Amino acid sequence: MVELANFAIHTLNGIQYGFILFLIASGLTIILGILDVLNLAHGELYAVGAYVAFSVFGYVSGAFANPEGFVGLATFLVLSLLAAVVAAAIMVPLGLLLEAVFLRPLYGRDEVYQLVLTFGLLLILKDMNKLIWGPLPVRAGDIYSGINRIPAAEFVGLTFPTFKLVIIAVGAVVVVGLFYFFNRTKLGRIIRATAIDREMATAIGVSTDRVFTLVFAMGAFFAGFAGAMALPQSNASLEMGANPLVLSFVIIVIGGLGSLRGAFVGAMIVGVLSRWAVWQYPPAEIAAPFAIMALILLVKPNGLFGTWGETA
Amino acid sequence: MLGMVGGTAVAAALAGCSTLLGEDDQSSGGEADVPDEPIQAGLQTYTEGAASVLGLQAQYGAEIAIQRINDAGGIAGREMELDVAHEADAAVENYTQFVDEGKEVTFGPISSGGHAALAPEVESQGVVNVGTDGTVTTLYEDTVPDPTYSFRFQNYDVMEVVTAAREAVARIGADNIDSIAGINPNYAFGQDEWKFFKLAIQQLVGDVDVVYEGFPELLADDMSTHITEVNDNEPDVTFTSVWGGDVTTLMNQAAANDMFDNTQLVGSILYSAVDELDQDVVEQAQAFSGSRNWYWDFPNGSRWSPNADLFEQAQSEYDVVPTAHFMSGYGAVTAWATATAKTVDILGEWPSQEQIARSLEDHGFHTPAGYHVMGSDHQGKSNAYSGSLEWDDDLGRAVLEDVNVFTPQEVAPPIGTDAEEWINSW
Repeated sequence: MVELANFAIHTLNGIQYGFILFLIASGLTIILGILDVLNLAHGELYAVGAYVAFSVFGYVSGAFANPEGFVGLATFLVLSLLAAVVAAAIMVPLGLLLEAVFLRPLYGRDEVYQLVLTFGLLLILKDMNKLIWGPLPVRAGDIYSGINRIPAAEFVGLTFPTFKLVIIAVGAVVVVGLFYFFNRTKLGRIIRATAIDREMATAIGVSTDRVFTLVFAMGAFFAGFAGAMALPQSNASLEMGANPLVLSFVIIVIGGLGSLRGAFVGAMIVGVLSRWAVWQYPPAEIAAPFAIMALILLVKPNGLFGTWGETA
Repeated sequence: MLGMVGGTAVAAALAGCSTLLGEDDQSSGGEADVPDEPIQAGLQTYTEGAASVLGLQAQYGAEIAIQRINDAGGIAGREMELDVAHEADAAVENYTQFVDEGKEVTFGPISSGGHAALAPEVESQGVVNVGTDGTVTTLYEDTVPDPTYSFRFQNYDVMEVVTAAREAVARIGADNIDSIAGINPNYAFGQDEWKFFKLAIQQLVGDVDVVYEGFPELLADDMSTHITEVNDNEPDVTFTSVWGGDVTTLMNQAAANDMFDNTQLVGSILYSAVDELDQDVVEQAQAFSGSRNWYWDFPNGSRWSPNADLFEQAQSEYDVVPTAHFMSGYGAVTAWATATAKTVDILGEWPSQEQIARSLEDHGFHTPAGYHVMGSDHQGKSNAYSGSLEWDDDLGRAVLEDVNVFTPQEVAPPIGTDAEEWINSW
């Protein structure tokens, strides 16, 4: 008999993991869906975001050592989230630079050029991390322990880190925000229109260069934001970009290449089912996401939601 | 100031002794027929990424050992020069490169899988390699059962998990251990450690329920599923062989999930993350940790100056608290250097690879960690250290308190005996 509390904690763990995966995969899928570029350096953008966050979080930890009381803890939480946003925002100019200088000359060429280029960028970004932050892993443990002092889950009788609840809440806000942006705003509609028919968008006066640059910068922002949110409960290391890249591919294949909705549903499926799978059969840790992908592709060979289309 | 009687100046320097008493150095280095050029050595270790938490410690230890050798006049007058290669996943390629470059000895690797791949290649190419780590039990039981040129200095897996099992029983009591769980890295090392821990604890306390076995991916950023299951099952002991950054991830997330209220954490090498652990987590965990064949503060530096000297040198030159992996590098170099110096004395000339390999068998030598023996099975055996992980305000780091020392006879099978058979024979 499975205890309800235990089931709830495993499920919350999965949802939290799913939101982290979505934050990473969302950038990859909008770049793929709109620019038609499979960005192998996306995992490294996630890693750069984590490293940048390490530096930015340092200011928060320095300013607020050992936060106490409701006001102190609330301030610490808000500042930590702002620091994560700042870290992600620093990724925007990096994204602009990468797209304008390296990717733009390759649009229209064979996909192999993009793969070689983005793989090269992957290596360059990794070396850049090593040059700036050194060969050893770095951590932001003070942010994790500080936010966990807020006794959120205890109100419902669960032992569950507040930091994970924060990730769930922030992830939900990002999901709603992204869908609102692409479905309700003018700029979002322009981006979607460009994705659906580039020539028509150009004919009605849309600058595809600007749209592509903006979309790549958005992808870099969300990859960096995912790195910033993932850092406090673990660490940033030079290898950290590899797994998220692979899992992001799994998610966008499950959801449908280039579909934001698909990325969200795929991330939740992988997040929750893989955590349940490990819970029931621990040796499945590495295989679980791939097994889930294989099962879904057997039923829906093009993924759950197909490609980018009339809705995000 | 410690002095050493007998041996060579190099052996004395590497033991941490400042003088060779009675000047009875029998070294014939001055008269021996040896080449003029420096000894070229290669070390492969992780110099970047998560595993560099261990790898750089091994590099620092090796570099200090070589510094001491050169300060003592070299081996029969020959100084040593060390090239360091990033291990990556290329243990065989790195070794081959070293051999092609004319290295006379190689050290490393860190990875268990890398060591298993490397050892047959060492036997094939015939340049002595002294392993710093890569401690999987099967290396000299199955992979290379009759080695000539491949050696390993550090205590191997079965030794550190038997140490952990004995430590758990000594501190908690056999009657208080009815159930265990494991959270171990999902590769050869973690599976090896968990297998032998289960065997050892069952032999020591009788019937034990294994209530959970989790294998997080190496460098996993989320171990919450395993922690949740430990919390749900509340085992008396949870054993883990996670290392480096994974220790920090596990312990931070365990603290956030109140896991330490539900179980006693026992780790074979938790102390490998000493420079990363936070005070609140260390104090909450009250974990027990092994420290392989060296703990820098046992015996304390005030009673054992070689420890104090090595600790201060590690701090001043590298700004780290030296761990057992530091000793892995230091000891591997020491094993080879002292055996080679001894062989030069006996032969009166520079020895061949085969002669050095033979002299390493059953070779005894000192480091600040004490006395070590490189067995005829090519496996180094030393005392094993374990203690209670606590916070030290003065150091600003975790330390091991109430250290227990286990002799090789207590934690390692006799030469020629399979580790599993040995534990089952208790």
